[in-house]
Amino acid sequence: MMTCDSSRAMTSRIRPLLIVGLLALAPLAQAQAQTLVEPVGYIMKVQGEATVTSRDQTIDASIGQAVILGAVLRTGADGAMGVTLSDNTVMSFGPNSEFTLDEYAFEPAREELRLSGHISRGTLNFISGVIAKLKPEAVELKTPTGTIGVRGTHFLVKVVQ
Amino acid sequence: MLLRYSVALLCLVLLSGCVTGNYVVLLESPDGTTGAVVIDDAKGQTRLDQAHQGVTIGGASAARPFNVGQLRIAHDFSAALAAQPALPQRFQLYFKIGSAELTEESERAVEQVFEAIRLRGPSAVSVIGHTDTLSGPYWNEQLGLIRAQAVADMLRNRAIEVIDLRVSSHGERNLLIDTPDGVSEPRNRRVEISVR
Repeated sequence: MMTCDSSRAMTSRIRPLLIVGLLALAPLAQAQAQTLVEPVGYIMKVQGEATVTSRDQTIDASIGQAVILGAVLRTGADGAMGVTLSDNTVMSFGPNSEFTLDEYAFEPAREELRLSGHISRGTLNFISGVIAKLKPEAVELKTPTGTIGVRGTHFLVKVVQ
Repeated sequence: MLLRYSVALLCLVLLSGCVTGNYVVLLESPDGTTGAVVIDDAKGQTRLDQAHQGVTIGGASAARPFNVGQLRIAHDFSAALAAQPALPQRFQLYFKIGSAELTEESERAVEQVFEAIRLRGPSAVSVIGHTDTLSGPYWNEQLGLIRAQAVADMLRNRAIEVIDLRVSSHGERNLLIDTPDGVSEPRNRRVEISVR
């Protein structure tokens, strides 16, 4: 009974303030919804020669750089790079690697879940995120000689050619 | 011939199994469990579900799992492993009823949370507000957003460098403790800070 009374008192005291805050927030929410090309992840670590190619443009990788769908990540002979995706998937690459992010969907509310990429050469350290947890069969990593289905886990892969 | 034999022997000794082609190795997950991977190639399907188990992908003979030792992992993957980003982390802060004010306990914990975020270095941060089911869903959606905004403001006020900061509300749609409608539940009145 006491909890109920105190909660009502608290709510009525706070509500006017909150409504003011709300009006200020509305345009912000709209602006966020209108953003079309969402980064699906960010470069979090870079060493030596490492580049990101998106929409036919190649730039040197740097920490905090956005990774979008279709991006190709490459490292040189002394290069390495780490990426974290929005679903908490963590990937890092050793020297002479090339990886393409082919498909990505992380909308749990709409049950749109997909993560697919291919490594054409080099080494990859992969720790799966929320997509693999919610829908393991939605996560797939291709190599030139076969496909790895990820069932929620940490693994390493080496592609020599 | 002798040379080839010696090299093969050396590989065997040093790397506990010299794999020449493409291969995959399963490791223990950061949470201490071990998951699984399923490899499909021209020779069929192979499943790995034990740590340090490896298998060639598209090898000449039928795929047979083998043990991959620490030396071999270090030899092939030390650079990739060294480039692994900080693992994603999650923090919860709790709020007083109907309010965007932290509980006393969370008030005490909040500086440690921000310090942990600062120590990671620039990260992508999602701040998600939640409520209990006490009020209506529409109001709770707004209250969740106001709570999340309050936490985002605290981050900004402390000048914590972020790569990306997203603020959103799940209102009463994502309860930590499942309750019927109209229930006051302190553990549901929270903001989740997801840092990756």
